[in-house]
Amino acid sequence: MRRSFLDFSRVNTEKLFEKRLSVLISILLILTILLIGRLYFLQVISYEHFETLSETNRIKHIEIPPRRGIIYDRNNMVLADNSSLYSVEINIKEATNIKKIITAVDEEIGLTKEEINIFFKKKSKYSHHNVVTLKNNLSDAEIAKILSIRYKYDGLDVTASLLRRYPYEKITNHVIGNVGYIDKKDLSKLNKKKYKGSKYIGKTGIEKYYENILHGEPGSKHVEINARGRQVRDIDEKRPSPGQDIHLTLDVELQKYMYSMLSDYVGSSVVMNPKNGEILGMVSVPSINPNRKLWKFSVNNDEEIKKLKSPMFNRSINGLYSPGSTIKPIVALNGIQNKIMDPEKEYYAGPYYQLPNSSRRFRDWKEEGHGMVNMQKAIIQSCDVYFYMLADRLGIDKIENFFEYFSFGEKTGIDMPYESFGVLPSKEWKNKNIGDKWTKGDTVITGIGQGYFLTTPIQLAYATSIIANKGEIFIPKLNKNLKIKKNNKIKEREFFLKNNINSDDWEMITEAMFKVVNQKNGTAYWTTKNKKNNIAGKTGTVQVYSLSQKTNEREKDNIPDHLKDHSLYIGFAPKENPEIVIATIIENAGSGSKYAAPISNKIINYYLDEIRERY
Amino acid sequence: MNNKNFFGITDTTLFLSIICISFFGLILLYSATNQDIDLVFRQGTRLGFCFILMFMIGSININHIKMIAPYIYIVCIFLLVITILWGHDSKGAKRWIVFFGFSFQVSEILKIAVPLMLAWFLSLDEYKNFDLKKLLFSFLIIFLPILLIIKQPDLGTSLIILLCGGITIFLGGIKKKHIAYLLGSLVIIIPVMWKFFLLPYQKQRVMTMFDPTSDPLGSGYHIIQSKIAVGSGGLFGKGFLNGTQSQLEFLPERGTDFIFAVFAEEFGFIGILILFLFYLILIARCIHIVGNAKNYFSKIIAGSITSIFILLIITNISMAIGVLPVVGVTLPLLSLGGSSLLSIFIAFGIIFSVNRRN
Repeated sequence: MRRSFLDFSRVNTEKLFEKRLSVLISILLILTILLIGRLYFLQVISYEHFETLSETNRIKHIEIPPRRGIIYDRNNMVLADNSSLYSVEINIKEATNIKKIITAVDEEIGLTKEEINIFFKKKSKYSHHNVVTLKNNLSDAEIAKILSIRYKYDGLDVTASLLRRYPYEKITNHVIGNVGYIDKKDLSKLNKKKYKGSKYIGKTGIEKYYENILHGEPGSKHVEINARGRQVRDIDEKRPSPGQDIHLTLDVELQKYMYSMLSDYVGSSVVMNPKNGEILGMVSVPSINPNRKLWKFSVNNDEEIKKLKSPMFNRSINGLYSPGSTIKPIVALNGIQNKIMDPEKEYYAGPYYQLPNSSRRFRDWKEEGHGMVNMQKAIIQSCDVYFYMLADRLGIDKIENFFEYFSFGEKTGIDMPYESFGVLPSKEWKNKNIGDKWTKGDTVITGIGQGYFLTTPIQLAYATSIIANKGEIFIPKLNKNLKIKKNNKIKEREFFLKNNINSDDWEMITEAMFKVVNQKNGTAYWTTKNKKNNIAGKTGTVQVYSLSQKTNEREKDNIPDHLKDHSLYIGFAPKENPEIVIATIIENAGSGSKYAAPISNKIINYYLDEIRERY
Repeated sequence: MNNKNFFGITDTTLFLSIICISFFGLILLYSATNQDIDLVFRQGTRLGFCFILMFMIGSININHIKMIAPYIYIVCIFLLVITILWGHDSKGAKRWIVFFGFSFQVSEILKIAVPLMLAWFLSLDEYKNFDLKKLLFSFLIIFLPILLIIKQPDLGTSLIILLCGGITIFLGGIKKKHIAYLLGSLVIIIPVMWKFFLLPYQKQRVMTMFDPTSDPLGSGYHIIQSKIAVGSGGLFGKGFLNGTQSQLEFLPERGTDFIFAVFAEEFGFIGILILFLFYLILIARCIHIVGNAKNYFSKIIAGSITSIFILLIITNISMAIGVLPVVGVTLPLLSLGGSSLLSIFIAFGIIFSVNRRN
């Protein structure tokens, strides 16, 4: 009985076990089948999705920036090139703890406070750059040290790159301009595809104007990276095509000489070949070393630079100055063309000129006046009263109209960015900009290049080249390979100047300018002893501060520097078949004959005696 | 099968499938460890040792194994206490003990020791109903080691041991009524556990399983990369040693937890089906042996081992494709690691021993 019960129990237990086992195995098998279904979904149905993800994981697209074109002068001297440079960089997106990385780098190679400050400044200012430079120009030992700790910090890397280098530093700074970090403003304008791997872009000067040519086309490569972001191997590569080199018309020897002549002053000098518009030299002082600007990121805080008067300002194309007496030859031509005055006729020029029904006296620079003067003498001695009278008789409309033939009040069209227009005053202009009616007095002082009239050094050089060419016009240019086709406006102007002013009158004016330098009573006679280059010129002295009519000589000497007169000079040489034109402005120095003229004549003589001789 | 008792190998088909899978595991490991041949040799040595142990256990009479089962359990509990007191610290958890230069994870052995102990206990009076007394004792056997393992802390392994024990008492005939009660109380216990017992990293693991993209570089990273590896393997795989996710180290824990992802990436869906076929042959043989088992203890322990083996495969693969949280379960016979290998081979030794009696 008991045994059968046990047997019964035993069968029961085993039956239960078998039932339970089959239930369990079934559940597990169903789960397995579901799992296989899930795997089928992942591997077969969603294959492409995961395949893409896996490829994005392992393949990194790297932009290779192109080599920037080199800038040469007319004799193939390098004015801007690229030097290779190793820098420590931090990838902001990959780095987990930037402060820790900086501390580690500091321990290895030492960082200055300034370098760290600049890093954070760059990081916030250029937040669109993923990679920010911490220290530039590493030595071999420093590279090795950083490479040895690199693996510990994500985002830390040493990279080789090309940095723009300007071998002539301050001397060519304003013409060549410089490159700088691409900022947000640049980013909004440029072709992002082309600049993906680039850090720098031309900011000013030639670097800016010819950015598209100099930059080149970027390349790219695909590299395989591992989970730590290190490159394992290259997959493919598209080489970048370097930017084109640019050959400028500048002669760096002349440029050096010009800079040495002007470096003690504030001002600008532009030298141009009147036969083709090529700019041979273009100096603006003060100037700064653009290399330092690139290394140090910002020079605004530099004490030495703070002392300088607007060193970033390119006076050659942006400095606005009253042309003063330098425009008298053009006013004289205007008188001839409009047949207002017979050039040969002598007029009495006293100490001042007075308009009818007015008590205001327009004084001559020469207190006692010039006496009887004809047109040529008026130019040679820079007689103000003669030109007051001439201007008064011409009237502002004719003056404005004629000056337009010499491109005043508009851009010359030189291949430089941000050129200023200057101001060619007119009735309309005054009404619009000053909100006042034009007066006869305004006309009178416009006749000697004062008042509202404002020009840039490049405009003066351009106008002078038109006088030197006797009406033929060549637009100034810096790129030697630039072919400028004269447009209809220029052609019309040339036609007008050549046909409405006969060659005798052109000759008379250039002769007058020749005598300014070569005749004993010429205002620039004493400015050069070397007379063999037949320089023709015209001085100009521009009042910055209108002295009262009663100011005596002693008070004149005591006025502060920034109120002193601007010293101007235009010139060309040789008088027949001229090869060089110059326009020089020296701010707050004194009279034109004392500063701008001797400097300009030295430059002309240097060019004709030293440089041209060698060709 | 003439030579049934030769050296403990009592089922040639089972033996051959074990050999095949574990030998393939070595080859896979070579790829998963970036061709670290030293590591593969070390694993090979361990494997050799485990085979010898399996032969030895296979030659023991199953009744003798039944006799020593309680002692194995007691020794394991003792070692767990030692682990907690003097264990080796790794990533903030004490899971390892070191003796004679070998580091050893006792909790892995408990995946076998707990079912063994339960099988011994349930076969003491096998014909009696599964009453409350039986249930309470079973719980004691299961929860004593679990509490010690939670203390390490290692929640994943605790849960696996709970499931292993659960499988054994299920096969041992636990009443349906009790199953219903237990599942009901689980509904209450789980939220309480979540609130009071889970450590932040454990919660994080569970959370990221549901939405790995919420923390793509943190704890979600493993799951995302593993899914990419599996998915990008496609139908035929990228080929041996060509899996970019594993070779370029995007995939974490390639040798252990995520070895399946390495396999799936390099051999694809077809490869997986072939692997499953081998597992299926192995499991089918085991079920066959369970069916032929002559006594209750043999049936329970062999049935438990077979089910646990399937469970571990499912859990590991689910982990690798983001269906379950990462609980640190190895893929049987393929993953790197000594302790889990040891417990698997002890289990197969027991299966062979069960078959011996037939």
